Order: sequence, then structure tokens, then C-alpha cells
Amino acid sequence: MGDWQQLVQSIVLGLIFSFLVAKLISIVLSFKEDNLSITRSAPKPEIPDDPNPGLAHETDSVVAEHGSVRNDSVPGSDVETDDDDDWEGVECTELDEIFSASTAFVAAAAADRLSEKVSSDAQLRLYGLYKIATEGPCTASQPSALKVTARAKWQAWQKLGAMPPEEAMQKYIDIVSELYPSWLDGSSLKSRGGEGDALSKDARGPMGPVFSTFVYEEESGNELKMDAIHAFAREGEVDNLLKCIESGISVNLRDSEGRTPLHWAVDRGHLKNTELLVSRNADVNAKDNDGQTPLHYAVVCEREAIAEYLVKESAATDIKDNDGNSPSDLCEANWPWMQVAGKQID
Amino acid sequence: MGDGKSPPGSPKENPDNNLDANPLTKDDSSLETIVRKFQDTSLKRHKFWETQPVGQFKDAGDTSVPEGPIEPPAPLSEVKQEPYNLPSPYEWTTCDMDSEGTCTEVYNLLKNNYVEDDESMFRFNYSKEFLRWALHPPGYYKSWHIGVRAKASKKLVAFITGIPARIRVRDVVVRMAEINFLCVHKKLRSKRLAPVMIKEVTRRVHLENIWQAAYTAGVVLPTPITTCQYWHRSLNPKKLIDVGFSRLGARMTMSRTMKLYKLPDSPATPGFRKMELRDVPAVTRLLRDYLSQFVVAPDFDENDVEHWLLPHENVVDSYLVESPKTHEITDFCSFYTLPSSILGNQTYSTLKAAYSYYNVSSKTPLLQLMNDALIVAKQKDFDVFNALDVMQNECFLKELKFGPGDGQLHYYLYNYRTRHALKPSELGLVLL
Repeated sequence: MGDWQQLVQSIVLGLIFSFLVAKLISIVLSFKEDNLSITRSAPKPEIPDDPNPGLAHETDSVVAEHGSVRNDSVPGSDVETDDDDDWEGVECTELDEIFSASTAFVAAAAADRLSEKVSSDAQLRLYGLYKIATEGPCTASQPSALKVTARAKWQAWQKLGAMPPEEAMQKYIDIVSELYPSWLDGSSLKSRGGEGDALSKDARGPMGPVFSTFVYEEESGNELKMDAIHAFAREGEVDNLLKCIESGISVNLRDSEGRTPLHWAVDRGHLKNTELLVSRNADVNAKDNDGQTPLHYAVVCEREAIAEYLVKESAATDIKDNDGNSPSDLCEANWPWMQVAGKQID
Repeated sequence: MGDGKSPPGSPKENPDNNLDANPLTKDDSSLETIVRKFQDTSLKRHKFWETQPVGQFKDAGDTSVPEGPIEPPAPLSEVKQEPYNLPSPYEWTTCDMDSEGTCTEVYNLLKNNYVEDDESMFRFNYSKEFLRWALHPPGYYKSWHIGVRAKASKKLVAFITGIPARIRVRDVVVRMAEINFLCVHKKLRSKRLAPVMIKEVTRRVHLENIWQAAYTAGVVLPTPITTCQYWHRSLNPKKLIDVGFSRLGARMTMSRTMKLYKLPDSPATPGFRKMELRDVPAVTRLLRDYLSQFVVAPDFDENDVEHWLLPHENVVDSYLVESPKTHEITDFCSFYTLPSSILGNQTYSTLKAAYSYYNVSSKTPLLQLMNDALIVAKQKDFDVFNALDVMQNECFLKELKFGPGDGQLHYYLYNYRTRHALKPSELGLVLL
């Protein structure tokens, strides 16, 4: 009888054991399959490839909360006529993808000990943002003051309060991009039109040409001295400009190159500022150190509406600059009122 | 076997766990888990190239490794006859660029999904005419113009191409494929279609008994033969500033900027004129002679010159200097037309860019020749003239008021090792 019991027991144990082995194998296989994306078959509605159902669920809820908002807010820079059904189940939201990739990068960097270069402050910020993005606001109780690291982490998380997960993901990505500007190089992730300041390097594909734009070089050796009124005129800030004038600053104040606020407003094409300055008796024929008037600027910068306005406000079309050119000489577009006005003055 | 009870995907039993030495603390274990598969893909991206016959980083600088093919050609019978498998919702298609419908599909795919700048303000907008020109050089193979369609909708979702070229590396002329226009629809970027597309185009190249390829990328892969820098010359500075291609410093005036980039109305070199069909033999001689000084350069014959360099409206422009006395062709310059969509600007929708192509100077100084090229580009209403620092370009860039760009372009050879990396000035090859 005892033998029989033992036999049953060992059969049962054997069954349990083989069940567990089978289970393990199937987990292993399914994990592998999930990761071999090339051979993967039908698209899955959940976040693709996530090996951890528990976490997938959590992340899912984050996505669910924000997914619809995000999809709506993707700017329609491409007018695409394609039926969105084509993509059903294929997409996971872009922010989520990039966030996941950035967390992966951070973990890889940590494994490579690159992180030793990263300040612990930055690491804590990343930790806090990660927790918010994946778990939401901190509800855990404060760890004992003796556990220094745990407490620092808790604080990093706790102080973010109820920051929305989406914002946390974005900030996380921003920090990673700052720490490792090239982290997205070669990644298969791509940004969608207009969405991605933080995604910078992202638009570069695995192969093919590169779209390059000018590197912005800080002007060196430009000793220009200018006042606030010039800057307001330049930036088109009508209200601030008005305040300056009303506070008694001369409307014809010169910068170190002899330019008046009117020169700056015309140069940047701000018609409103131009009108304001002229209405406050700015000198329409003020010359800068090169002998150029605001009308020279308007003509050279091809600002037709402003030039027309200045001529109407009796700006001279025949004043010569230090190179001997008048505004009408420089006018390549042959604006009729430019020539006519010139003749009238002649 | 107690591990079998722990939740699936926990770190312990994860088969791909390659982080045994992971220094992350226990608190980070959830992070560790969620990221593993992404990490896996990020390693794979080099894993992919490490499986390919390309110069490997570990061999860089090792001059004992011989120059030449990395793997010998295989017998054609050993080349896989069947296309690689795609994820099941997709299927391969060959894109006939002579068909207006297909050409339009390819054009639209690229227009909406191809290369952008870092800030997604611009996206290349290769014209249909340009694509036909770029993909139909002498001896092209239709089968190398590869598309991927969604099975259900038949929508074109990805594209990659090869064209045949003879490229000389030092003294050896090698038949190669130039691989270009790899584009995956934005909505499928996470599907990792690119590696299988690269493998498929490679397979089709092998089927033509060609075993080497040339390509470029904006990213560093194993291993660039050289790394070039883009330079830009403003032709329409006001528009470039308005659309964010360049910036106007707070202390700089638009008026001075306009003056700085102003160009004369017409070219200065006597005998400077558009290239014509009758010039093909002379231009070919001139170009072959000139390109012989570079370590890697195309081996152009007259057919190639006629295709690539004879002016083609809105695609490629070529000018030469014919000596007014001897009527000898002494100098040559060319640029191709590659507009880009301006994303999200109210006023402008297209940026018209000229890209420096092949330039040869024998009598006229290159500086003067290129200044004339800028002048004709300006006449043709281009907004900007772009050039790489390849060949002898460096000698005119700064002088002609080109400014450095933020784009670096890496050049690669597939299954061909060069003894050492080249300087950009040793490269005589421009890929579109």
C-alpha cells in the first residue's frame, strides 16, 4: 500500500515536473518567436514583443490613457489618404516606443558602465521619471533614513507628484538625449513629421542620404552694442516697444552701427512695429553707419509692403548710401511705386 | 526547477539574458526586464552588420588585413533562389519605374516617409523624373527596384533599390551595386523590415553575379571608408531663414546677410556654357582623367556620362568651359536637383536645393568654376547649393561662403575592405 502511494506520488510529481518543463519550454519558445520580428507572423494588438505580460499590462494602461490623445495630436503634415485600418494593431504609440528604447539604452549603458560618467543626480531624475511613467505617482511609504540610496530614489519619485506619465516619458527621453546625444543613432525608430524635438537624431535612417541644415554658429567678433528698444523692434514686440517709447527713450536711438529701431523693425519685416515707430515720429530717412536708410533695408530685404508704406510716409527713394546706391538703385523687383515715387522726388 | 513557478519573463529564466554582469541593483529589476528585448534589438543592429561581409570595427587600422573582397564570389547555384521571408502581412513586389502608376506610388512613399533633418522640418522630395533617372542607368536591373506591399491593401509600404556601377578602388575596377532609397513607411518602423530588405536586395545583386556594393548612411555602421561633411551655400538667404534652414543671429541684420550672399547676374568665365550631347566624348575624357587621382571613384564610360551628366531638366545640370580660341573643353561642373518638402511652414512648401555632383577643373580655377555654378543655380531659382567635402571641394567651400552643415555622410563598401579609411578628399564618388 505504501509502495502504491509512493508510486502515485512520484507519478504526480513527475507530471507536475514535466508540465513545468513543458511550460518553461513554451515560454522560452514564445519569447524567442516574439523577438525574431522578421519571422513574426500576425501583428498583435498588444504592445509587440514585450516578454513580460505583467509589465505589458501596466504599460498598456499607460498607452491606453494617452494613446488616443496622442494619435489625435499627431500633426497632419502629411495629408495621407490611406485607410487607417491598414495599420490597426501594428502601431504602438511613438512616444511609448521611444521611451522604451531610451530605457533600454539606459540599461545597456549601465551594463557597459557608461553610466559612471552620469551624475547620480541625473540618475535619480531618470529613476523618478521612469517610475512615474510606468507606475504613476509614488504611493510607497518613505524608506528609513538609514537606507540612503533607497531614500534618495523614493524622494526622486515622490517629488514628481502627479506628473502625467506622458510628460514623464518625454522628460526621460529629453534627459537621455542630453546625456547621450547620439543614443538614437542607427535605431530603427523614426520620428513622425513635426513631432519630435526630443527625437533629434532619430530621423536618420539606417542607410541612404542625409538631410543637413546649417550649423548655427554663434557670431564671434561682432561687437554690436544695442539697447532694449532695438531688440523689441527687431523681435516685433509691439507692446514692449510702445512702453519703451512712452518711458521717454528716444525713438531714434542709435545702436553702435548707427541703426535706429526703425532699421531693425524693417530689417526683420515687422510692419506693425514700423507703423508704430513712424507714427511716433521716427526719422524715416535715418542713415546707419553705412549710409543706409530704413528704405534701403526694405528694398534689400525685399519687404514690399513695408517699402511701399515707407514711401507713402515720404521716405526718400534717392538717398545714396556709402556705396553710392539709392533705394531705387537697389530695387531689383521694379516695384512701380518705387520708380514713380523716385521720379516725383526728382 | 522551482524557477518554473516564477512569473514568465522574469530575469532568471530569460533565455536571452546576456546581462549576467549587470550591475543594476534589485530596485531596478523591473526596468531591467522591460528593456531586455529593446536592448536585444539595439545589439542586433550591430549584430546584423557583424554577420555581413563588411569591414569590422575590430579590424580597423590593422594594415595586415589585405585590401579587396572580404568573401570570394559564391557559385551562382549557391545563391538562395527564393526571396527572404517577410512578416506575413507583407509581400515583395518589383517596382517598374516606367509605369506611371508605380512610379507615383514610389514617389509618394518617399515623399511622405523618406529622410528628414534632425528636427523634422524638411523631408527629401525626390521628383519622379529624378527617380527614373537615378534608377535607370545603363544596364540597370528591374529586379533591383524592390518594393514591399501590404498583402491586404496592396499599399506600397517599403522600398529599396540597387543600380549597377563600375567603381574603381585604387587600380581595381569592381562591378558593384549602389544601394539607395531604402525607405520604410513611418507606421512600420518598429517592424524591423530594413534588415530583411537589405538582405533581399543583396540576394538579387548576387543573382547577377555581383558581389560588392557601395552605399551611404547618416549613421555609423561597420565600417565607413570615409566620413564626409555637408556644406551649404545660401542662394536665397531670406527664404532659408524664414523656413528655418539657417538662422539669423540676433546681432546680424537681414540686410547684411542678403548683401553677403548676393551673386553676379551671369557667369564670369568666357566660354562657360551648358553641356550638350556632342560634348559627351570630351567630357568623358576630361572626367576620367580627373577622377583617376582619387582612391575610390566611378569608372565612367561615354554611356555613363551621357546618362548621368547630360543636362536633364529639373534633374541634373551640367556646364563646361569651351575655350573661345581652341574650342577645347577644359572644365566641367554639374549639380543635381533635389527639392525637399518644408513641413509646417505657412508660406513655403518646397525647398529647392542643388547638390554639387562632379566638377573638373583643368584650366579654370575650381573656385571660379564653382562660383559660376552658384550663379547659374541662383538664376535657376535654387534656394541653396549643397556640397560634400569630397574630391577637391574643400578648396572652394569657405571662400565661396559655404557654411558647415549638421549632416555627416558616411560612405561604405559592402564585401570590400580598404586598407585604411580615406580622407574625404580621396573620395571621388557621389551617391544621390
